[in-house]
Amino acid sequence: MMETKYLIIGSSHAALEALRAIRQADRDGSMTMLTRDGHMPYSPTILPYVVSGRSAPDRAILRDETFFAANGCAFVGNATAVGLDAKGKTVALADGRSWRYDKLLIATGAAPAIPPVPGLDGSVPFHVLRSLDDAMSLRNAMGAARRAVVLGGGLVGLHAAENLAEAGLAVSVVEMRPHVLPGYFDAKASGRIEAAFTEHGVKLFLGRTVVAVDAPDGRSCTVRLDDGGAIEADLLLVATGVKPVADWLSGSGVAVDRGVLVDDTMRTNLPDVWAAGDVAQAKDFHSGTQALIGIIPTAVEQGRLAGMDMAGDSYLKPYAGGVPINTYRFFGRVALSIGQAAADGCGEVAEQEGGGYRRVVLADGRLVGYASVDEPFDVGIMGELIRRRVDLSGCKEDFLSRPLETGRRLMSEGWR
Amino acid sequence: MGTAFDTIAFKASACDGCGKCMTACAEAKQGASRISIVSGAGEGRFELSLCRQCGDPKCAMVCPAGALAKDEASGVIRWDANQCVDCLLCTAGCSFGGISVDSHTARVAKCDQCDGDPACVKACPTGALEWVTAGSVFKKYGDREDMFVPGLSGCQGCNSELIMRHAMRKIGRNAVLATPPGCIPGMGSVGYNGKTGTKVPVFHPLLTNTASMLAGIRRYYDRIGRKDIVVMALAGDGGTSDCGFHAVSGAAERGEKVLYVCVDNEGYMNTGMQRSSTTPFGSWTSTTPVGEHMRGKTQDAKNLPLIMVAHKCAYVATASTGYMEDLYAKLDKAVEASFRGFSYLHIYSPCPTGWRIPSSKVIEACRMSVDSNFVTLWEYTREGGLRFTRSPDRPIPIRDYVKLLGKYRHLDEAQLDHIQARVDEQVALLRMMAAEPVAAE
Amino acid sequence: MSKVVVIDGNEAAAWGAALSRPDMVAVYPITPQSSLVEYLAKFIADGRMDADLMDVEGEHSVLSVLHGACLAGARTYSATSAQGLAYMFEPYFRTPGLRLPMVVSLVNRDSVSPTCVWGGQQDAMTVKEVGWIHMFCENQQEICDTIPIAYKVAEHPEVMLPVNVNHDGNYLSYGVAKVELPDQAVVDSFLGEKNVNWHACLDPERPMAVDPLTGGATGAGPATFVRYRKGLCSGMRAALDVIVEAHADWGRRTGRHWSPLIEKYRMEDAEVALVTIGSMSGAAKDAVDEARLDGRRLGLVKIKTFRPFPVVQVAQALSKVRAIGVVDRAVNFGWNCGPVFQEVLAALYHLPLRVPAMSFIGGLAGADITVEHFSQAIDRTLRLAAGELAVEPVWLNEND
Ligand SMILES: Cc1cc2nc3c(=O)[nH]c(=O)nc-3n(C[C@H](O)[C@H](O)[C@H](O)COP(=O)(O)OP(=O)(O)OC[C@H]3O[C@@H](n4cnc5c(N)ncnc54)[C@H](O)[C@@H]3O)c2cc1C
Repeated sequence: MMETKYLIIGSSHAALEALRAIRQADRDGSMTMLTRDGHMPYSPTILPYVVSGRSAPDRAILRDETFFAANGCAFVGNATAVGLDAKGKTVALADGRSWRYDKLLIATGAAPAIPPVPGLDGSVPFHVLRSLDDAMSLRNAMGAARRAVVLGGGLVGLHAAENLAEAGLAVSVVEMRPHVLPGYFDAKASGRIEAAFTEHGVKLFLGRTVVAVDAPDGRSCTVRLDDGGAIEADLLLVATGVKPVADWLSGSGVAVDRGVLVDDTMRTNLPDVWAAGDVAQAKDFHSGTQALIGIIPTAVEQGRLAGMDMAGDSYLKPYAGGVPINTYRFFGRVALSIGQAAADGCGEVAEQEGGGYRRVVLADGRLVGYASVDEPFDVGIMGELIRRRVDLSGCKEDFLSRPLETGRRLMSEGWR
Repeated sequence: MGTAFDTIAFKASACDGCGKCMTACAEAKQGASRISIVSGAGEGRFELSLCRQCGDPKCAMVCPAGALAKDEASGVIRWDANQCVDCLLCTAGCSFGGISVDSHTARVAKCDQCDGDPACVKACPTGALEWVTAGSVFKKYGDREDMFVPGLSGCQGCNSELIMRHAMRKIGRNAVLATPPGCIPGMGSVGYNGKTGTKVPVFHPLLTNTASMLAGIRRYYDRIGRKDIVVMALAGDGGTSDCGFHAVSGAAERGEKVLYVCVDNEGYMNTGMQRSSTTPFGSWTSTTPVGEHMRGKTQDAKNLPLIMVAHKCAYVATASTGYMEDLYAKLDKAVEASFRGFSYLHIYSPCPTGWRIPSSKVIEACRMSVDSNFVTLWEYTREGGLRFTRSPDRPIPIRDYVKLLGKYRHLDEAQLDHIQARVDEQVALLRMMAAEPVAAE
Repeated sequence: MSKVVVIDGNEAAAWGAALSRPDMVAVYPITPQSSLVEYLAKFIADGRMDADLMDVEGEHSVLSVLHGACLAGARTYSATSAQGLAYMFEPYFRTPGLRLPMVVSLVNRDSVSPTCVWGGQQDAMTVKEVGWIHMFCENQQEICDTIPIAYKVAEHPEVMLPVNVNHDGNYLSYGVAKVELPDQAVVDSFLGEKNVNWHACLDPERPMAVDPLTGGATGAGPATFVRYRKGLCSGMRAALDVIVEAHADWGRRTGRHWSPLIEKYRMEDAEVALVTIGSMSGAAKDAVDEARLDGRRLGLVKIKTFRPFPVVQVAQALSKVRAIGVVDRAVNFGWNCGPVFQEVLAALYHLPLRVPAMSFIGGLAGADITVEHFSQAIDRTLRLAAGELAVEPVWLNEND
């Protein structure tokens, strides 16, 4: 049995940020990071760029061995956690080894959620995109394929669809909802994005559900839609969303809803066990209830809080809640969104359309959401205005007519 | 020791929105300006958006591509164009608009401080932008040996302790240090009952004879050829400007080769905050109390450093811990000058206890005292005359400074006007001495 | 080779100082000391003396620069008078506490007010409790000789105390007499290596705190303070023997044997004694001689070392007389008599029987005490011996 003071499961954004926070408060406590991946840490977000070839796999690495040595953290790859004994304070690995910890962080992130569609039970080969290996296998497959079908019009699906289209494949995207990138963008914004895809020859099947997939010859396959339509493909990518990697915790006593339930310092219901990142179901800033927000900024923030709390850092301030953020590039263009930008009926909406499109949502004189296409804005500043609930009633006109300048001014004034 | 870095500072009150900084930046970077000046809340007010080179840069933390990292040497958050995949997540990490999309390249762009020689600062005609090198000072001296015991019993937030530690850290062991009665020995630097508080030879002169004792020490060491010893005082304003003044004046007149640092906290703080001749007009002290018949001190402060200029010392300068790089540069010159003649450094030092300011606001008080011209930073040499080391142009109103300090809480409009008028007069006089044209308002 | 010159007391002091080779001389002029510092300045200007001359802005700084120099390792010298001493008092008070072995001549002068620039010993008598050693000279030669002796005493490791060498303003300061200047080599070997700051110094090579705060209601403070104070007393006590030794040594080397603590003049069979101090003693001795010619058994005790007070020597010298007249050149206000008189009374307390004594005060503000005055004093003291009590002091110049 191996022992460590701080045990971190996972090696991505939440895990790395926790490491940093722990080391800030505790220079010496022993630390171990276990990950089921075979590579040094990287971000899933980089994967579309690995697929496109823009980022070589070895350049996608976020931290190397030198970093871990310098920070006194043992990094163990190919180590898949399969069970937690919270009473005995041990984590069991797939290879039979186990680790004893004083404090445990669950940062196992999320994995692709495969819809219960006949054919996707393993009988038909398909790709997903969550790991570096996934990305490399997709990149390999891309070369030989001509027709691709992407299930899911979310961020992962669209990124991949663009990669595939740019690589010269005929690409179809099936999205259950009436628009792509639901939740981040309203219909008008999504419309601009959809138009771009259509212009680049990508076929969008919106409001359509896949009912079955079959592959009689074992190579190419047929995707069957709820309206009776069928799309042929020799490359199938399933990107219909993710679900937290929490199955290994079953029976451990850790409370799991859709993800691992955590409080405002990322503690789970069990002593000395924290969770952060995509695996965690933490407070949502807008609703105040526990929700899944699978993005890097929340993973980083949660990882930081968890690390601070684990190391007993007195500067810890409780979690304010996650705010959805999306910075999306498509065909060289920019779509940005933060907060309740797609929501209707939650406040006052100001839209502006010209060369670019902008949508500002206010409630009680305060910003709650902001989205734009083809008109970049300071996402971080808007995020601060939302999180700090800055009262904009005194400068509403200015804000709506010149949001960028006014936002910068407010931050400059307030935090010199 | 932690680390600190040089930085571009912005003084909103001095900015007139001319935009020259942005032009200079865009030119230097051949793209969009990394610095942006935006209209402020009122007419003629401006604000700044610029990378603050954060200590815990969120832009870098959220970057999935490892394209952003804080440079350990310069503190600049470096953007690696080759690593970057243009996902724009960094723009979500920054709360100040410090990294944003350059429409020329459709990529992010951010300030890199032009490798320590920022184009924007050079282009700024009003002094609103300033290249502050206090970080370099800190890095250079941070690891030097502290010459005092760790447990000096100064009040919380004591600025004098800061000055003492900084000064001696810089000057080092080859010194003889006089700390006449006052807060400086009061907090234990000369020690108690046979124990010392300092690693260099240190002593209590009398309140009245610091400069004379130093003169004797220096003369003897010069006589026996040990000319490299820094013979110096860290003295208070009372012992310097009041009852010890004869000695200071005498030593200055004779050109004694001594470094005399006056730490001016505007009164006799060690004995319970009584007035001194450097206590400013209107100030509450325990001997100029506020009551029905008295509203604080009724006389103006003596301008001691100017009096020292009249002695034609080898070096005279004023300094503030609000502007450390200035202070350090002057310490250097003052030490050097003390081997040639009388060298006088007057350091203004707000006292959290006696001035009734929270300890967390001491440095702010230092900075505002300078920014309002209540304190002017200048230096004098016989060869070069008097020269401002920080421009007195575009000061903030004296009221903004004064309201920070509890000792002025009682001031009425007439008293405030009086202080403002005296400050203006003082600056006008200094400008004449510095032969600087009065800036057009 | 020693050299005979005819000089005034101030120049004699300047020579005594110059021969002692101080590293630093700090000066501020004051009547009747001024010519003394002018001599020194001239000696230095002419290269006859190798010292740093610091002509500072006042006596307060005179002593202060010397404090600094001494702590750095210098042998130091200065001279002052009356108001100068008063202005110097703050660092003066501190000198013995720091155990700085300095030598400062006091050219005794009466103190203001009434405004006065003439001789009198009010200055020295006012600072007698401070912790300086005080020696009083009778003539120009003794001034010149006593200054090197004073260094020898001050720098003795068991003493380490400052010394005031007193000589009377006007009568001695300006009065000219023959003086044999000691040979420099003799003075050098007499004094040996200087010894000024082994105990307390301001030197980066031996860093220490000089004069940290000492005292307080609790803890090590009060005991430490007492240790310092008692140390000063032992220095004073040790000085008595050292002064005797130093005078003897000086006598062996120069042939001039000065009485170190007290001088007993014709005391062998004396029934009545005068006690004197300083330059008045010459006239007093003449008066004693005259009285002896008249068949009266007169004697005289001259006090050379006033601090530390030679209690035993004074008491013994006066143990056999029937009456004592003490002549002072200063006033002890409060006791309203002469200060030396008070000191003598205190010493006499050590004797088994009570000797009648009375106080004479004369020579204030530059007045002469003539042989005539002393003869009056002798007459009055004889009457005291015969039983005529004296409650009030006799003011010798009152009816001049
Ligand atoms: C293609 C793609 C594009 C994206 N684009 C964006 C974007 O533009 N903006 C954005 O904010 N977010 C984006 N995301 C989401 C973002 O990458 C995640 O929110 C983020 O990576 C979450 O970090 P995490 O540390 O919580 O978990 P993950 O990144 O999911 O990492 C989980 C870690 O746990 C390890 N692990 C899992 N199970 C186990 C186990 N049982 N035992 C041991 N180790 C285990 C994994 O190996 C991995 O190291 C994207 C994701 C993908 C896939």
